[in-house]
Amino acid sequence: MHMLASFLCLISLFSLSIISARAESLVSAISSPTVSITSNFTGADILVFGEVNRDAASVARANDNELIVVVEGPPERMTTWRKERLAGIWINATSSTYAGVPSFYAVHASTPLTVVAGEQTLKEQRIGLQNLPLAPIASGEMTRNERKVFRDALIRKREEIGLFVEKSEAIKFLSPTLFATNVELPSNIAVGEYTITTYLFNGQVLLHQQQQKLHIAKEGFEQHTFSLSRQQPLLYGILAVALALFTGWLAGIIFRKD
Amino acid sequence: MQLYLPIAEIPVNIFVIFGMGGTVGFLSGLFGIGGGFLLTPLLIFSGIPPAVAVATVTTQIVASSTSGVIAYWRQKAIDLKLAFVLLCSGVIGSALGVWLFGILQRLGQLDLVISLSYVTFLGSIGGLMLVESIKAMMRRRSGDAPVARKPGQHSWVHGLPMKMRFRRSKLYVSVFPIFAIGSIIGFLGSVLGIGGGFMMVPALIYLLRVPTSIVIGTSLLQILVTMSAATIMHSYNTQTVDIVLALTLMIGGVIGAQLGARIGQKLRGEQLRLLLALLVLGVGLRFAVNLVLEPEDPYSVVVVDGENA
Repeated sequence: MHMLASFLCLISLFSLSIISARAESLVSAISSPTVSITSNFTGADILVFGEVNRDAASVARANDNELIVVVEGPPERMTTWRKERLAGIWINATSSTYAGVPSFYAVHASTPLTVVAGEQTLKEQRIGLQNLPLAPIASGEMTRNERKVFRDALIRKREEIGLFVEKSEAIKFLSPTLFATNVELPSNIAVGEYTITTYLFNGQVLLHQQQQKLHIAKEGFEQHTFSLSRQQPLLYGILAVALALFTGWLAGIIFRKD
Repeated sequence: MQLYLPIAEIPVNIFVIFGMGGTVGFLSGLFGIGGGFLLTPLLIFSGIPPAVAVATVTTQIVASSTSGVIAYWRQKAIDLKLAFVLLCSGVIGSALGVWLFGILQRLGQLDLVISLSYVTFLGSIGGLMLVESIKAMMRRRSGDAPVARKPGQHSWVHGLPMKMRFRRSKLYVSVFPIFAIGSIIGFLGSVLGIGGGFMMVPALIYLLRVPTSIVIGTSLLQILVTMSAATIMHSYNTQTVDIVLALTLMIGGVIGAQLGARIGQKLRGEQLRLLLALLVLGVGLRFAVNLVLEPEDPYSVVVVDGENA
C-alpha cells in the first residue's frame, strides 16, 4: 500500500509539472479517531468529511469532482460453507476459505462507482465489493464457476449482516468544495485498526487520495472481561464457576422456605 | 435495553435473555429438571453463536443446581460415595466432550453434531417419557395399581464384576454401569450444553435401582461438579464462556425456578411428565425440521480466525 501510495504521489507530481492543471487536492477528516465498545454499544456512526481544495493554478473543468470513501476493517480468515443434502439431511458439505478478508468493508461514492472511475482503476485501487481480492486458499479442484459462486455468497452473506456495504450517491456535497458522508458501523463489528481512504476523481481520473486510521476497541468492563478470557483462561473459568455458585447460594437463601 | 456481550461480541436485549432464563427456570422448577436442553436451543435460535450458547449454559447450570444441592444436603438426601464415582467419570466424559467440541468447531461441523444429537436424544427420551406417562394416566383411569418393583429383582446390570457398596443408597453394584452413566452424561453435557438430569435420574432409577429419595440430590451434585469442570475447561479450551450472558441467565433462571417449583407442587406427577415429554419432543422436532427442510440459503460464512489471519 505504501509503495502504491508513493507511486501515485509521484505520478501526480509528475503530471503537475507538465500540465499544472491537476492542482486539486483533498483534505479529509473523521469525526472521531476512536470508537469504544462499551456494554451499551449498539453500533456507531463515523462522519467522514473534508474539502476539495483548488488553487490559482486549477483550471476550470468540464466534469464535476467525484469522491469515494472506503472504510476497511482488520483482515480475518473466513470460510464459506455450502449445505448439501446427504442421506436426507442438510449438512455443511463444500467450503472455500479465504485469508485476509476485511472484517468490515464499506464503500460510499458520490455517484455510482462505475461512473466515478473506470473498471480498471477500481480494480487497481481495490475499490468496490466486486474488486476485493478474495483468493481462496485450499479450495481444491473447484471450477472457475464454483469459485465465483462461493465468492459471491461470501459477499452476499457479509452484506446481509451489514459488514459489507456499497452505496452510491451517499456522499453529500454541502458546497461545491465541502463534502461529508456518514458511515454506519454495525454492532457486530470487529475490533482493531481500520483504514479510511478518501479518493478524489474527476473525469474518471484519480486526482488525490487521503487516508485516516480509525481505532475500534472494547473498553472498560468489556475490555477487561475479554482480555481476561484470553490471557488468563483458567482464572476466567474459575471466576465464572465462583460467580455461578455464589448466585445459586444467594438464591437459595433468598427463597428459602422457613 | 441492549447489552453488549464481551465474548459473543454481539449486543442482545437484556430483557429477552432475562425472560428466556426466567421461562426455562420456571419450567425447570416445575418439572424438576436443569433445563439446559431447553435453554441452549433457545439461545441458538435467537442468534447466539452455538459455541457460546453451549459453553455459557454449562455455567448457568452450575448456578441453578447449587441451591438444589444445598437443600438436599441439609436433608441428607445425597449419596456422597455414589456421587463421587459418578462425577469422576463425569469429569472424564466432559473433558472428552470439550476436546471433541474444539475439533468439531474447527471442522465446521459443530452445528450439525449439536442438531443431530438433540434430535436423537430428545426424540428418544421424549418418546419414552410420552409412552410412560400415557400408560400411567391410563392405569389411573382404569383404576389399576401401578406395577410395583419386586424386592430382590435383578437385571443384567447387577451381574457385572467389580462391585462396590453404597450404604446410603442401599446398593451393591458394579462400578462399570455407574462409570458409563457418569461419563456419557458428562460427555453429552459439554458437547450439547445440557446438565443431563433428565437422563441421569431415569438411568439411576431404572438401571441401578437407586432409591428415588436419594436420586435427585445425588444427580444434582454430580451435575454441579461436572458442569463446573465443563465451564473451566470450555473457558480454557475454546474461550466461549460469556460471563455476562451467564449472569443474566442465572438471575432470570433462579427467580423462574422458584415460581415453577411452587406451581409444580399443585400438578399431578403423570400430568407433569406428559407435559415434559411433549416439551422434550417439541425441541427435538424443531431441530429435526431444521435438518430436513431445504435451507433458505445453503451458504453460510464463518470467521475462522479473527485476530491473526
